[in-house]
Amino acid sequence: MASKNSARSPAKRLRQDSSSPADNFNLPAPTFDLDTWANNYDGALLPLRLCHVAIHCPSLSRQAIGLAISHAKRSKNVRQYTHLCDLAGQLHFKDLGTPDNDWVSRQEEGNKRELSRLEGELRGYKNNLIRESIRMGQEDLATHHLITGGPPPDPNTVQQLGGSGYSVAYQAFSKTRDYCTTPSHMASMMLRLIYTALLQAVSSMQAGGSSGGNFANTISNCSRLRSSGVKAEEQVKLEPIAAAMSGISLLGQGNYPDAATTFLSTPIAYNTLGAVHGTDFGRAVASANDIAIYGGLCALATMSRQDLIDRVLGGSFRAFLELEPHMRKAISLYTTAKYKTCIDLLRHYYSDWSLDVFLGAASSSVGSSSHVDVLFAKIREKSITAYLSSFSEVSLASLASTFPPVSSSPTAMEEEALGLIESGLLDARLDVVNGTIIAPRKELRSGTHGDAARTAEDMERMLLLRLHKVNVVMAGLEVPKPKNGNWAEGGFYQ
Amino acid sequence: MADLQLLLSFPPDDVAKLSNKKYDEVLRGYVQRVDKLPQSAFLKQVNNQNILELLNPAINSIAYLYTLVEQVKSGSKDKNRLTALLDCTVIFLATFDPVQIRYSTISDVWLDLTTFAITNLHDLTPVTTALLRLDPSAGTFTTVHLRIVRAALNLGTPSAALPILDKNIHSLPTTPIKQHADEYLCDEDAVFITSKSGFTGKVAPEFLLEYYLLGATIYTALRQYSRARLFLEYVLLTPTTQHSASALQVEAYKQFALLGLLAQGKGYPLPRTHDSSVTKNIRACCKAYDALAESFEHRDLQKFRAEMETGMAVWHEDGNLRLVRECEQALLKWQVLDLGKRFAALPIGRVAAHVGFGDQEVLGWTLELIRSGQMSASITPADSGEAGDAVLRFHDTTAGKVGGEDLAAQTARIEELVKYIRAADVRLQLSKEYVDYAKRQKKLGPDAGDVIGDQMDLSWEGGGGIMGGSSGMGSTGFMGPISGGGGGGGMGLSGRIEGLDDGDEGGEEDIMGNY
Repeated sequence: MASKNSARSPAKRLRQDSSSPADNFNLPAPTFDLDTWANNYDGALLPLRLCHVAIHCPSLSRQAIGLAISHAKRSKNVRQYTHLCDLAGQLHFKDLGTPDNDWVSRQEEGNKRELSRLEGELRGYKNNLIRESIRMGQEDLATHHLITGGPPPDPNTVQQLGGSGYSVAYQAFSKTRDYCTTPSHMASMMLRLIYTALLQAVSSMQAGGSSGGNFANTISNCSRLRSSGVKAEEQVKLEPIAAAMSGISLLGQGNYPDAATTFLSTPIAYNTLGAVHGTDFGRAVASANDIAIYGGLCALATMSRQDLIDRVLGGSFRAFLELEPHMRKAISLYTTAKYKTCIDLLRHYYSDWSLDVFLGAASSSVGSSSHVDVLFAKIREKSITAYLSSFSEVSLASLASTFPPVSSSPTAMEEEALGLIESGLLDARLDVVNGTIIAPRKELRSGTHGDAARTAEDMERMLLLRLHKVNVVMAGLEVPKPKNGNWAEGGFYQ
Repeated sequence: MADLQLLLSFPPDDVAKLSNKKYDEVLRGYVQRVDKLPQSAFLKQVNNQNILELLNPAINSIAYLYTLVEQVKSGSKDKNRLTALLDCTVIFLATFDPVQIRYSTISDVWLDLTTFAITNLHDLTPVTTALLRLDPSAGTFTTVHLRIVRAALNLGTPSAALPILDKNIHSLPTTPIKQHADEYLCDEDAVFITSKSGFTGKVAPEFLLEYYLLGATIYTALRQYSRARLFLEYVLLTPTTQHSASALQVEAYKQFALLGLLAQGKGYPLPRTHDSSVTKNIRACCKAYDALAESFEHRDLQKFRAEMETGMAVWHEDGNLRLVRECEQALLKWQVLDLGKRFAALPIGRVAAHVGFGDQEVLGWTLELIRSGQMSASITPADSGEAGDAVLRFHDTTAGKVGGEDLAAQTARIEELVKYIRAADVRLQLSKEYVDYAKRQKKLGPDAGDVIGDQMDLSWEGGGGIMGGSSGMGSTGFMGPISGGGGGGGMGLSGRIEGLDDGDEGGEEDIMGNY
């Protein structure tokens, strides 16, 4: 079903179209079933994912929140639980929104006890100075923080919303660095750091803060992971995770070209990894299907047609694309220049993708377009440019029929074309009177002549200037330094 | 009478048979004797005729010159006399023998004569033709150049200076290096305009800068923007000692900032080889102009006008008011031209909306722009007769004129330039500092490496480097010697900085960063 597209123009430059504000929050139902989808994931990210769904899709809101709360109750994260209850209240689901205070206080107690126990153990280990135990103790402590979402906010210290708990966990994990002895330990630590950083990123995004720093952390940890020096068989397991996670972070930062290349280099082993050092990234962060979507979209938005054919459809990424056949179909439609069908296909899944917590996140702090919107806009621009490149003259009407304009104003197509020309993506001229776009005929011959003349002129000028400089120095005619103070009188030739 | 005989004694009848060496010898002797003649010898009349009438300027050039100058100097205030002398001067300047005159450098007669001519003539053509006669390339800067440009501006005929301005300056007068035994002034390629010869007064750096600055103003007025740009860049790139900046450079920068706007719609980029601290100092004095240029580049007419109003006193004081007003006009023009980059055709109404003025006005301007050739487009009036509906259609501008001849002319000019560069290189190699440097390099061995200086790669012609003919050391780099010792060399040559004569080490090291 072709979802009703948000009337807001997905133009990359966020022109404020007054027809409707943030339609991101009114998405129609996606094509997947929420329960089965939620079963693909677990860990702390799942409630965040469901949160995202709840906020952005009213029809699934109730179901999502319900699932999220029940999941949170099964975990030990009190803060998340209360946060979800508040959210439910905001979404007018009063019945779900009443927190089970009993459970809350019990859990808090339990958490505190556990925390002091672990800290005590850690102190003991530190006294014993056995590195391995200290490391494991520290790791357990950090994991505890992770699971419980960090200690309750201390009213005395200033903390940011949302992400502060996880930053404690992050620091705790970093502390294990000192006690790591083998590369394997290092790898394990880094995996944890990556996971925590991503959690931080997502939760700060949802709280409205910026997450660039967290993504940057992830990327640096991923690159360190790659060079951690572990044995080959372990490296095979780490490599896919590193690639996938750095790809996600690049996507989060809005760096689509690099994200595309990183995703394309992810080995398909990602799909079958299972738990590595205790965490199954495929379930905890993003499944292989997600990777396929991310990579496919980024590639489609940033790579040229030839690259798409060679590297995406013909390379190792094809294995990922098998998991998501519609993505593969979209890419092959693009490469065979069936732009309209391609864009329609992409539109079909707009809702699905916007509900993904990484893709649907705001792409910048200005405006409310998500990564999906930006990517779609880029894909559209690329398609238009590619379509126009094969013609010398195209009427705006036929362009509009192939690429239905996004807003209903009569000059929408024209404005879009103008935007493309001005930004330099499209080398053409607009004939407003006849309503056509004209590709300029490049007169290579006279163009080359012109270039040659200009180069000759520049060359001559440069030679003259150099000669002047040499002469002045040889004749001792440089501008002299003023002898007294800052100014000196020059001579006047009578 | 005896004096007249003396004056007429050169050239002897068999002048054509004299070898260069003999010619040189004879002429030198002659000039010395003429120079010793007392003033009265030139003033008195022979057979009731002015000596001038008995001398042929083309053949007895030196005699004529001396006589003329003495008569001028004798300071008669008689108007008729002066006019007569002026006429004689004009005749002389048109017909003198250039080779002979090269020898007249013992005294300042040439300078005196040219000064007299420039100050009194209203038409500078004789003087410019004379300079070109003396040296067809007119490429060695002399104080006469500066006088001519100033006079042209004062007389209100700037284009009179063009014959001189159009010739590129390829050398500056320097102290002559010891001439080889077989080089004579009468040779074809002799270098005879030196700081000691009487063809130029003492050249100070600010004269050169003033010459170029005034030249740039003239070219701007004549709308020869690329030449004006070149001249301004000359001024801006003139090397300075210890990053000092000249006020003339500041003025040049102001014009430079505005020139780019007029010529190509955006400011010219600063030449790559500029001295950054000098430019920083210069720009600190020119903030108003930079602000103006910025608002121009954003095509923001309101802001431009506002900046213009704020800086009114500045433009007025600098004498740049008209230039700024021209920029204002140009801004409108460029706004319309910009549309040509995006549209192939659009109605005038939309142009007017973009520019912010009324339809009729805009129609008028665009017509004017098309007619004056600044924009290649055409306007089709609308059937409805409304100005706003007339269609402006831009033509394809990439189909430019194929200037085959232009390229040939340019290549010829570059080849000639190369000739002068070679000459400069030769002079450089003969400078004391470079010789010392070369000696040291040789001592250190060929693997000392030349990290100093950047190589100016002139090897665009088929053969090897331009300096292929010179010695091995010499060809390592045109700029090599300069950074190493050329700075010191330059100083040493004109002997302006004492105490450098002995210290090559000291001289080179502290000059190192200077160039």
